[in-house]
Amino acid sequence: MNKIMYLEFERCIGCRSCQAACRECGGHDAKERNYVEYVDFMESRQTYPMLCMQCQDPACARVCPANAIQITEEGVVLSAMEEKCIGCRNCTFGCPFGIPKFDFEENKMYKCDMCYDRTQHDIAPMCASVCPSDAIRFIDFEEIQALRRRRTQMNLIEGKKPTEQDKWQYVPEFFGVYSD
Amino acid sequence: MTQFQVKEGVKNLHHDGEKLITTHCCYCGMQCGMHIRLEEKTGKVVGVEPRYDWPVTMGKMCPKGVTAYQTVDHEERITKPLIKKNGEFVESSWEEALDVIEKNYKELQNKHGKNALSVFGGVSMTNEKCYLVGKYARVALGTRYLDYNGRFCMSSAAGGFLQTLGTDRGSTLPWPELEHTDCFFMAGSNTAECHPTSIQWFWRARDKGAKMIVADPRETPTARIADVHLDLKPGTDSALANGMLHLLIREGYVDEEYVNSRCNNYEEMKENVKSFTPEYTSEITGISVEKIIKAAHLYGQSQRSVVMFARGAEQQSKGVNNVRLYTSMALVRGQIGKFASGVATFTGQGNGQGGREHGQKSDLLPGYRKLTDPEAVKYISGVWGIEPEEMPEPGVSAFEMFDEIQAGRIRAMHVICSNPAVSAPHTEYVWDSFKKLDFMVVSDFFLSETAEFADVVLPAVTWAEDEGTTTNLEGRVIHIRKVKDPIGESKPDWEIMKLIAERMGRGKFFNYNNPKEIFEEFRVATKGGKADYYGITYDRIDKEDGVFWPCPSEDHPGTPTMFKEEFGTPDGKANLAVVGWEEADETPSKEFPHILTTGRVVFHYLSGSQTRRTKFLMEQCPVPYVEIHPELASQYNLVNNDKVKLTTPRSAMELDVRLTKAIRKDTVFVPYHWGKELAVNQLTNPALDPTSRMPEFKVCAVKIEKI
Repeated sequence: MNKIMYLEFERCIGCRSCQAACRECGGHDAKERNYVEYVDFMESRQTYPMLCMQCQDPACARVCPANAIQITEEGVVLSAMEEKCIGCRNCTFGCPFGIPKFDFEENKMYKCDMCYDRTQHDIAPMCASVCPSDAIRFIDFEEIQALRRRRTQMNLIEGKKPTEQDKWQYVPEFFGVYSD
Repeated sequence: MTQFQVKEGVKNLHHDGEKLITTHCCYCGMQCGMHIRLEEKTGKVVGVEPRYDWPVTMGKMCPKGVTAYQTVDHEERITKPLIKKNGEFVESSWEEALDVIEKNYKELQNKHGKNALSVFGGVSMTNEKCYLVGKYARVALGTRYLDYNGRFCMSSAAGGFLQTLGTDRGSTLPWPELEHTDCFFMAGSNTAECHPTSIQWFWRARDKGAKMIVADPRETPTARIADVHLDLKPGTDSALANGMLHLLIREGYVDEEYVNSRCNNYEEMKENVKSFTPEYTSEITGISVEKIIKAAHLYGQSQRSVVMFARGAEQQSKGVNNVRLYTSMALVRGQIGKFASGVATFTGQGNGQGGREHGQKSDLLPGYRKLTDPEAVKYISGVWGIEPEEMPEPGVSAFEMFDEIQAGRIRAMHVICSNPAVSAPHTEYVWDSFKKLDFMVVSDFFLSETAEFADVVLPAVTWAEDEGTTTNLEGRVIHIRKVKDPIGESKPDWEIMKLIAERMGRGKFFNYNNPKEIFEEFRVATKGGKADYYGITYDRIDKEDGVFWPCPSEDHPGTPTMFKEEFGTPDGKANLAVVGWEEADETPSKEFPHILTTGRVVFHYLSGSQTRRTKFLMEQCPVPYVEIHPELASQYNLVNNDKVKLTTPRSAMELDVRLTKAIRKDTVFVPYHWGKELAVNQLTNPALDPTSRMPEFKVCAVKIEKI
C-alpha cells in the first residue's frame, strides 16, 4: 500500500456520504464503520468525519485479552477475528476515538479496516472515493506534504482565518499551522 | 479473485460474477457518473462503484447517489397495474387497466371535449420521455392542459435567463472550469446539501485563493465556508442584488467596454439602483452594511467570477426579477462568455434542464419553440405528422391546473413521474382537487402520495431499467444506460404512453420500438430551435463525455461556453434588469409574526418518494423538524426536541424543534421531503410569479405555538 488516508475536517459538509459508502464496501454487512460528528450543533453546522486512526500502537488491540485484533504488515488495524473474539468489548472502551462498535446480535466487534480488500491494491476505500468535498482522501504521502505546505501558505496569506468564523480563537497558536 | 479495470490510471474494483455498467445517478441535476454493479447470475443490481473518469464528478457521490441503486429492486416497487375498486387497490392485467383508461378517457372527452383530460409531467426522467409527454398530451389526448413539476423548481430561472440573456441554459460554463474561478457569488443555494458533489470544485478553487460569498438566511454547510455570509431576510434578494449593483457601479467595478458593446439598459439600470445604498439595502435585507460592502469589494475585484443561484432566490413570487438582477451582476462585470466565469443556476431535478426545453411546459414546444409562434407550430406539426390546426393552444401552469380542476374544466389527469401531493404548495388544496377529479391515472414505480388518489396506477420503471439521455446542470447531454430489464410487469413510460395512444386511436404517431428511435425524432424536432440537439447522437455522447447543447449539426463541437460572441436575444445584446424591490406576497403580521422558509436536507430528494424508502437515508433523517434560533425559541420557552405547532394562513402542522444559531432570528426553517401530515407544503404560499408562474415556497408568514 503506497497511499495514506488524509482527513481535512474543515472541508466536511456533513453529508454522511462516507457512512453510506462504508456500508457498500465488501464484507461490511451494510454497517458503517466510520462516523460523522457535529462540533457543536447549536453554534454551527461544522461537522467532521471520524475514521479509525489506524494507530501505530492501537489501544483497541492492546487491551484485547484474546489477541483478536490483528494488524497487517502495512499497519492496518483489522476488526476482531471472529474465532478469537470473546465479546468482552474492551476494545470499544479502550479506543479514544470511539471507533470499534459491538454488534450484540452477532456477538462480535466491528471497526474500520481501511477497506483492506481495496487499499491493499491501492484502490481508494469507498468513503474516500465518494467524499464530495475531499474531506477524506486516499493519497500519496508526497501529496499530503504538498497540501500541508499549501495550507501553510494560505494560512499566512489569509491571516490564519480562512472563514468568517472565529474558530481559530479556540485553537492554540501552534495547533493546525503546519510548517515545512 | 477480484480483477481490476484500469481507466486513465485509476482502478475500479470488479467483483467476481458481476458486471459494472456505466451510467449516472438518478437524482439531482449534477447527474454524477457512477458504475452500477449487476450480478450476472441473478440479473439483480447489488451495488455501486465510483466512476473516476467522469469529468464533472470524478467518482464523487453524495449519500443519495451511493444508495440510489437500492430503489431498483426495492420490495415496495409496484410490479403490476393497480385499479381502485371500492376504495382499495387491486392488481390487474395491463389489458384490464388500459381498458379502464380508454373507457374513461373516451367518455369524458365525448361529454366534455378534449380539454377535459390533462397531463402533469415531471423532469426526473429522460429527454426522450419528456419529449414524448408533450407529444402524448397534444397528439394522443389532444388536450391543451399539460404542464410539469418544473414549475415548482426551474421556471423562474428559465424566465429570468430568457429575459436577460435570451436563451435559458442553466449554466453558461462547464463545471470543471470552476476550478479556475476567483470568486463565487451564491444566492439561495445550499450547494453542500443539495448538490454536494459540486463542493469539490469550490474547494479546489479556494485552495488557490478563490473567494466565496453566500447569500442565505441560514448558515448552511455552504454558507459556513463562505468568506462573507450575507444572512438576508427571506424574500429580499432583489434588494440585495440591486444593492450589489449600486456598489459595483459606485466603486468603479463595472466593465464599461463589455456593458457598452454587449448590454442594453445600462443607463436606466444605473438610475434605478441609485437609491440602493448599502444603508438602504441593509435596512431591507437585514444584512450588516459592512458585509454588503465587503461582498461587493470581493466580487468586484475578482477577475473571473461566477454568479450562482438556486431555489432560495427563485421560489419566490418575484423569482424572475431576482434571477434577472443576479444575472445583471455577472453582466456588469463582463463575466458571461468567458473562461471560468459566468452565471449558473443549480438544477434541482435530474433533468430539470432538458425537461424544460422539450415541450412539457404549457406554452412550449420541443427545442424551446413557442406554442404561440405559428412557424413553430407548423414545424413541429410536420415532425409529428399532424395538421397544424390540430395543435392545441397553450394551457395553464402546473398550480393553475388545480384551479381548473376545481372549476370543473379538467375532469381527468394523468400524472407521470411526479408527486404534486407533496411537492405543490398549499397541498390541502391539491388533495382536494385530486378528489374532485372524475378519473385519475398515475404512472410511478412506488405508490406515492399522489398515486394513492389515483383510480389506476401504472407500474413504471426506475432509471436503471430504461435507456435515454438527460441534460445535466451544465447543459451537457449525457447517456443513461439500461442496467437491467424492468421488474415484474412494469414498463418504461414511453411504452405506457404508446399503449394509451394506441387505445385512443393515435397509435400511428407513436410507432417506437426503443428510446433511440424517440431520440432520433426528438433531434429533428429540436433542429433550428434555441435548444438545438440535432447534432447530438448516442455515439457522440459516449465518445465525448457528453455533448453541450446547442449543437446544430453532427460536425458541431457543442457549446460548453455560452454567449461568447452574442446573446440569444433578437439584437444579440443582454438586457440588464431595471427592477426595484417588492415585498414578498405574504409578510409577517401581528397574527403570523415570523417568516417560514423551506428547503432540502442532504439525505432526501424532492418529495422523498424514493429516499424515504432507502434505509440508510431514512435512518439519518426520518422526520421533518423546525430549525429555530435560540433567541426566538426563548420567547416561547422552547428547548431542543420540544413540539411546536406552526400555523400559516392556510394550515397548521406539528413539528419537533431543533435549536440552532445557524439561522436568522426572525426566520424558521422546515425541510419539505415528507408527505401527508408531515408535508410542510401544507403551509406554503401558492402566490405565483407573474412571469414564471412559480409558487412562493420560500417565504410565508407563520405563527409558533408550544404544545
